Amino acid sequence: MRHFKKSHLLIGVGLVWVALSRIFQGEHTLELATADNTAFTTSVGDVAASIRGNRTKSSAFIYFFNPIRAAINGFVEIIRSIISVPSGNSIIPVIGWFGVVAIVALAVYATSKLRTALLVVSLLMACGALGMWQFTMDTLAMTIASVLLSLLFGIPLGIWAGLSDRVLKILTPFLDLAQILPTLVYLAPLALFFLIGTASATIATMVYSIPIAIRITAHAIRNLNQSPIEAALSMGSTPKQTLTKVQLPMAKQMIILGINQTVMAALSFVVIAALIGAPGLGKPVVDALIIRNVGQGFVAGFAVVFVAILLDRSTSAAAKAQEGFIPMTPHQIRGRRIKRAIAGLAAIAAIFASRSVLSLAVWPGSINIAQQVEDVTNHVTKWVTTNLYIFTVGFKDFISNWVLNPIETLLAFSPWFVTMSAIVLIAAVIGGIRVAMLATGLLALIVLSGLWHEAMITLTQTIVATLLTMSIGIALGIWVGRSVRAERIVRPFLDAGQTLPAFVYLIPMLGLFGPTRFTAIATGIVYSIPVVVKIVSEGIRAVPVAMIEAATVAGSTIRQIITKVQLPAAKKAILLATNQGMIFVLAVVVIGGFVGSGGLGYLVILGGSKPDLQGKGLVAGFAILLLGVTIDRIAQASARRT
Amino acid sequence: MVDGKSSAGEGGSLAHNPPAVSVRGLWKVYGPNPLSIVGSPDAKLSRSELRAKTGCTAAVSDVSFDVAPGEVFVVMGLSGSGKSTLIRCLTRLVEPTAGEIFLDGEDISKATPERLRELRRQHFSMVFQHFGLLPHRKVIDNIAYPLEINGMKKAERHARANEVIELVGLHGYAHAFPEQLSGGMQQRVGLARALAVDPQVLFLDEPFSALDPLIRRDMQQEIIRLHRELGKTMVFITHDLSEAVKVGDRIAIMRDGAVVQIGTPEELVANPLDDYVANFVRDIAKSHVLTLKYLARPAMPGDEIDGPEPSQARMSCA
Ligand SMILES: Nc1ncnc2c1ncn2[C@@H]1O[C@H](COP(=O)(O)OP(=O)(O)OP(=O)(O)O)[C@@H](O)[C@H]1O
Ligand SMILES: [Mg+2]
Repeated sequence: MRHFKKSHLLIGVGLVWVALSRIFQGEHTLELATADNTAFTTSVGDVAASIRGNRTKSSAFIYFFNPIRAAINGFVEIIRSIISVPSGNSIIPVIGWFGVVAIVALAVYATSKLRTALLVVSLLMACGALGMWQFTMDTLAMTIASVLLSLLFGIPLGIWAGLSDRVLKILTPFLDLAQILPTLVYLAPLALFFLIGTASATIATMVYSIPIAIRITAHAIRNLNQSPIEAALSMGSTPKQTLTKVQLPMAKQMIILGINQTVMAALSFVVIAALIGAPGLGKPVVDALIIRNVGQGFVAGFAVVFVAILLDRSTSAAAKAQEGFIPMTPHQIRGRRIKRAIAGLAAIAAIFASRSVLSLAVWPGSINIAQQVEDVTNHVTKWVTTNLYIFTVGFKDFISNWVLNPIETLLAFSPWFVTMSAIVLIAAVIGGIRVAMLATGLLALIVLSGLWHEAMITLTQTIVATLLTMSIGIALGIWVGRSVRAERIVRPFLDAGQTLPAFVYLIPMLGLFGPTRFTAIATGIVYSIPVVVKIVSEGIRAVPVAMIEAATVAGSTIRQIITKVQLPAAKKAILLATNQGMIFVLAVVVIGGFVGSGGLGYLVILGGSKPDLQGKGLVAGFAILLLGVTIDRIAQASARRT
Repeated sequence: MVDGKSSAGEGGSLAHNPPAVSVRGLWKVYGPNPLSIVGSPDAKLSRSELRAKTGCTAAVSDVSFDVAPGEVFVVMGLSGSGKSTLIRCLTRLVEPTAGEIFLDGEDISKATPERLRELRRQHFSMVFQHFGLLPHRKVIDNIAYPLEINGMKKAERHARANEVIELVGLHGYAHAFPEQLSGGMQQRVGLARALAVDPQVLFLDEPFSALDPLIRRDMQQEIIRLHRELGKTMVFITHDLSEAVKVGDRIAIMRDGAVVQIGTPEELVANPLDDYVANFVRDIAKSHVLTLKYLARPAMPGDEIDGPEPSQARMSCA
């Protein structure tokens, strides 16, 4: 009964909204020309400028920010000089390309199967052949540095949060915020304090990946089988003995799994951090996107994908090696020792060779297929866009004309107070008075920031992308949730989808749809579908078998079972997936600022390159955050209330 | 329950030695403001009424008993009657809400964390229903764990662990890992670990409930043998009446956190204090416990002198 009323209320709000929007079309939209500043954005720009001016004077910089920057820069440079840039007064890094390939391959071989080692070798060599060796090594160095630092803070904090409820309670809001914070948002503020360069990029990456390390470590500690721990206490273990002799050894495998995820998160961020000067593969990706050269983007994008697979395979191989506590037989132990000894010796020999033979030290320029790959992809792109024109442009235009434009008109071209009231009312109906008040506050801040219109453009794209994501994602999720075979087929794609940096998805989408709003939307869809499918299919699979059997016995058709049993029972999972999907989509849509999606993301990117728009860029970043929190709160409230 | 205690069991030769474990007015209340429940009239309410009224659960309420040195003291009761909470209070894995617990005359409910660790390391140890073995350690290192945290050198603790391994019949399994062993073997490891420090008192919380009947019988024999050989004082929790009768000198029966009656199996069968106890002991084969010796003994305080009561009559037809 209540539910019935709720949907009627929502429809009522919608109708009034549409009517008012028709009447007041184009009035009070708070539109602001791209190059214009408001008084507020100007003053933020002034503050930013004064912060920058104080870098050498203010004690906050002299005693805090600058030393941190110097320390992190130094640390990253050490790692870079080992594998990537010339070290000391030499013209080559400490270890040349051959040495790096050998070390990675042998390390993987020592912990895992030969096949994985061979895969890793081919991936690394492929990066070299794409002419991306130096960029690849920089990306690896940045990732390694960020991961080491993230783990240095994340694991102890995670252990602490695992042991103490108080600490977990204090950390949780930050962990939650980090999860909904679109990556683009914190680049500019960090660059303000730590300058553009490796330090800012490393810190930004850490901000992104530390929460993951903390979460998984705390989870690992908290979800241990409690009976050995109780037994250890009953024998008089001190808390420290319990931790080091019982809890940590038992949680080890899970924590290593957390390292895998931290590595993947760090990698995806390091690529994006090219925007604030991270060395590595992000740079050629950004360059290609800016000049809209899809082929060139593909060359760098392939390298990113290869590095992602390489890191994922090698770290998950290490995690697998930890599986179970069953020891090896003496025979196996001897085998492993021999294997490791040989691998170690071979690695040392390879390092030596890579330091003494120039062609093994520096990737030989003659092995380079970048141009060919670029040509082929450009060619294919051209073929697709001319011959499959109907599909690509047709689909794009269909969505643009029938979905995107009407929603954009409604949100961004109605008077701001109409749109804001409508959103607040929807929040009230869905989430109750408290969520409505929160939404009012957050939206009012966006209005005050002067970027309301841009925010509504971004919101439009987010909503459209989420709608499409959910319709595809739920369908796929039902299929995967119902069929073991489907799950087996789709699983690798879901896993891969989650490990790839959002940035690389932009490249093929740019090829297909050109620099338009729709490119950002399509990227958002592709990027967020895996997480939606995962959550929905798990929800479907969690529906008790007894429930389905009862429905089957009662004579339901498959369709009835899906619509009347499984979907209602999985409703919570679907709402959760919508929430996650929206947050993922928002993160990507703002990155779409690069390829012509406009909105807040474009302002953020513009702020990074045009000094007089820097204040506006910072404000836009903040507005993205406000928008993200608004979306998250409303979506969470709707999930809670069902 | 207070009369339950006096009606039975403290008599006999055991009464002359000072008790190894002595519990006085022990309470454990979960919920908001637990201390307010202790000794209040609310405590007399049933579990669900108390919960509805105060939001609290009295997992253990006003329990008192003594265990003599060398005695095997069994605690029985339905699921949720508070047995595990009780035994965890005795070792202070759970902090009691009120009451006193004396081990060899020392009030351990007031022990500092350091003293408590010392007691746990040397004075008593515990065996768990789900074994609680460390999955990442070999059998020998599991058994040596309590010695290790006590600071004993590796060679020395391994030597001691090997002795206990022989004692519990785990010969040849020193270097296996827990998950390579059957449930019964795993519990032998748990037992060996508890014996490694040569404690005076053993607390066992349903040690054999997770085992299948045949292995359980073996393990019961094992406990009886160890008790005979080593003479440890034991507090033994079980669900299983025949197990209680087999290993126990005296049995305490719990209901809703309180001890209803304490006595030897014979006493419980002959003189159940109420229907709950009668129901509990109904299945004990008469021949098993009602020996002539018991029937012909001199009357104890609380015994009926004038023939069987209806409840006993009912029992005899069961
Ligand atoms: N941490 C806790 N918080 C709240 N209530 C608890 C807690 N631990 C136990 N209880 C409650 O105390 C009561 C006694 O539990 P306990 O585990 O001691 O019973 P038990 O006799 O050991 O049962 P079983 O035979 O199932 O092991 C139960 O009602 C239980 O719900
Ligand atoms: Mg129990």
